[in-house]
Amino acid sequence: MTEIKEELARAATMLDLGRYDEASTLLARLVSAEPGSGRAWCLFARAHLGADRFADAVEAANRAAAIEPSEEWPHRLASNALMHLGNHGEALRAAAESRRLAPGYWQTHVCVAQAALAAGQPAIAATAATEARKLAPNEPDVHFLSGKVALARGDLDGARGHQERALALDPTHSGAMNELGRIRLRRHDTIGAIKHFISAARTTPGEHIYSRNIDVVIVRSVSRMIYVFVLIAMILLWIPAVAHTGRLPLAIGFGALSAATLASFAIMVSRLPKEARQLARRTVLSRRVTSALAIAFGGVALAFAAVAFVPSDALPQTLPVAIIITIVARVIATARLRAPLGPNPPGNRTTPTQPLPPSRRRSLPAKTNAVVIAGKASSGSIISGP
Amino acid sequence: MEPEPLLDSLRNAVTAMPDDVPLRLHLATMLMRAGQRDEAVRHLGAVLQREPGNAEAMRMLTAPAEAPGRPAPAEAEASPERALSSPSPAPATPPAADRPAGTPDAKTPEVGPPQPDEVDADDQADGYDWSQAENELRDVLPTMFVGEAGSVSAGLDEARAYDAENTGLTLADVAGLDEVKKRLEAAFLAPMRNPDLRKLYGKSLRGGLLLYGPPGCGKTFIARAVAGELGARFITVSFADLIDMFVGRSERNIHELFEVARRNAPCVVFLDEVDAIGQKRSQLRNTPMRSAVNQLLLELDDVASDNTGVFLLAATNHPWDVDSALRRPGRFDRTLLVLPPDGPAREGVFRYHLRERPVAGIDLGKLSRLTDGYSGADIAHVCETAAERALLDSVKRGEPRLIGQTDLEAAVGEVRPSLGTWFETARNVALFANEGGAYDDLVAYLRKRRLI
Repeated sequence: MTEIKEELARAATMLDLGRYDEASTLLARLVSAEPGSGRAWCLFARAHLGADRFADAVEAANRAAAIEPSEEWPHRLASNALMHLGNHGEALRAAAESRRLAPGYWQTHVCVAQAALAAGQPAIAATAATEARKLAPNEPDVHFLSGKVALARGDLDGARGHQERALALDPTHSGAMNELGRIRLRRHDTIGAIKHFISAARTTPGEHIYSRNIDVVIVRSVSRMIYVFVLIAMILLWIPAVAHTGRLPLAIGFGALSAATLASFAIMVSRLPKEARQLARRTVLSRRVTSALAIAFGGVALAFAAVAFVPSDALPQTLPVAIIITIVARVIATARLRAPLGPNPPGNRTTPTQPLPPSRRRSLPAKTNAVVIAGKASSGSIISGP
Repeated sequence: MEPEPLLDSLRNAVTAMPDDVPLRLHLATMLMRAGQRDEAVRHLGAVLQREPGNAEAMRMLTAPAEAPGRPAPAEAEASPERALSSPSPAPATPPAADRPAGTPDAKTPEVGPPQPDEVDADDQADGYDWSQAENELRDVLPTMFVGEAGSVSAGLDEARAYDAENTGLTLADVAGLDEVKKRLEAAFLAPMRNPDLRKLYGKSLRGGLLLYGPPGCGKTFIARAVAGELGARFITVSFADLIDMFVGRSERNIHELFEVARRNAPCVVFLDEVDAIGQKRSQLRNTPMRSAVNQLLLELDDVASDNTGVFLLAATNHPWDVDSALRRPGRFDRTLLVLPPDGPAREGVFRYHLRERPVAGIDLGKLSRLTDGYSGADIAHVCETAAERALLDSVKRGEPRLIGQTDLEAAVGEVRPSLGTWFETARNVALFANEGGAYDDLVAYLRKRRLI
């Protein structure tokens, strides 16, 4: 008995340290030797979760639940794993079961809030978050999740309040810093958002979501720049037809538009913090961004050339073609920007869309992609044991 | 039931290629089917030694023992009733045939293993040696780098015996890495080896050296070489030992470790993966772990004040996770970045891993160029893959052939360098967390490689 307890303690320590593979190996041995230990299966499920083996986590959690039907922890673990598998209905049901078994335990309410949020039911999430705050008003993760719920409901002020409260309780809560960045972004404050993402990345450099979020913001700014550029270009293309001007004013207009667009982007980049400027330079010089810019500017230049060099009597036929070229260029450029994030560091041949490695901090990373500013899927306390 | 000749052939193949994980798994599956679970478990243990996270091996280990003739776990899992959302059959009181050999009967206490004498009785009854299996599976952590295979762990086991060994290595045994050696000499070895000059310049011996860098790049090997250079004994404390400290009487274990080092002076104490024990205390929720860190700090200060020839070395892949208290002056106040192997080092690693294999016509220079950015562990994997390729080809042809350059080049194409994740984190550190220039050498390297 003592030996099993010690081995379980060893496994729990490994999990606390983020050593999921070693813990899995030890726990595989433990559950083989002691298949009736619900705690061993719970820890095994937690190890699988940490290593992104979600189906295995569900199976281990179900085993634990079968062994100890009155325990709430297996259901929380199952809920978290099911959420990662995209099975939000089942995740919410498992979370509700954990709450039914331990209604006085704040983690079960946070689990319900998280599952409801993932299932697109913010009203249920808000009720659960409120209950969790009543039970644990000084728990940063509760405020962190409450902020996420508020953001999902469009309550930006409420979301900011909760995240600031989480940070006041735990100044190293990088998840809350990231959420504050997301809130700034919703307010169209790109610079402020990036500053928050930088704070998060500085606090937890092992969590790659934050620096990727900075990348995403920069790419989004490029995308917006292309959009504005193309929109103004389409208006300018009508000038020869309306005002019967020559080529020179059109060329000047195109040049001025290009210069103004690039200048506005340069000003935006120059206002970024130094660290983000380095990252911005790298992102802008990446293949997908340079190719998107080349496509957009090339398409618009082609459209302007077509309008400028055709005889004035052929203008009515050429103008629609020029407009179509401009729109197509914009669509292709935007699609190019939506390609997976990159480039990867040399030596890293994995694609950025592959699952991220388990976080070394006490929370699970959300999967991220090129167009979504990623928040954290969950707080670590949701899956930690009672 | 599998025919015995087939099993014999597989056993021979595994003996010839002990590191071939798929082959071992296949043999284990066949043994399970044949009802020879004991031997299968041994092979699964060997698999986990090589690949600690191998899901297939863990699944087979955790699957209940099957009676001979019943479908193997791999087949059973494919059945549709194992739906994810529905709970698995409760294993609390499984039928006797479904319980692994040695599992306590339902009538015995529900939780906890049987008493030791009961285990022995069971072992004898069913012929299965659980303690042997446990020993085989105990040290499942992978070694970081070549040269570790023969090392003797300090071993914080029940007897709490610490082995101080003579490594017999020097920096001359480390291929390449001239830059690292130069910095090591300046930062650590020169003051240690020249006590008179040290006294003249008033240089104290306080403080240890923290080696950091991506995994599988030879930090442990370099630490052993440093011990050799100093003519000192070497005590290594691995991650598993550190974990034992946490779950046992941590303060006593740590104190005893340092006592042994003092008795064996001159002695190098090497704390491998020190981020495990020295993780920022704000991140440690576990009280015993926090007290272990506090005890370690006490011992470090003792070593610093009571200078009896105990040299401290530590290694970590994540220095940014190490508690700043551990890095204050007098503790691990000097850091050394151990980077992925350079060209000559890669050649050396290839030479080492191919030295006992049948090879011909190997262009080490070309292989070294092709594997820029690979860690030593990645190169070991390349050699393993090339050997596997040659073996399979030999089986196909019906005659053995030597491992050639094409095998190795093909293996390089297959094996991806594993350092991408580490460098992504390192890039974040360099960009956002290089406070006080603590990681300037890392920044310089990343700039040189155009990673930032």
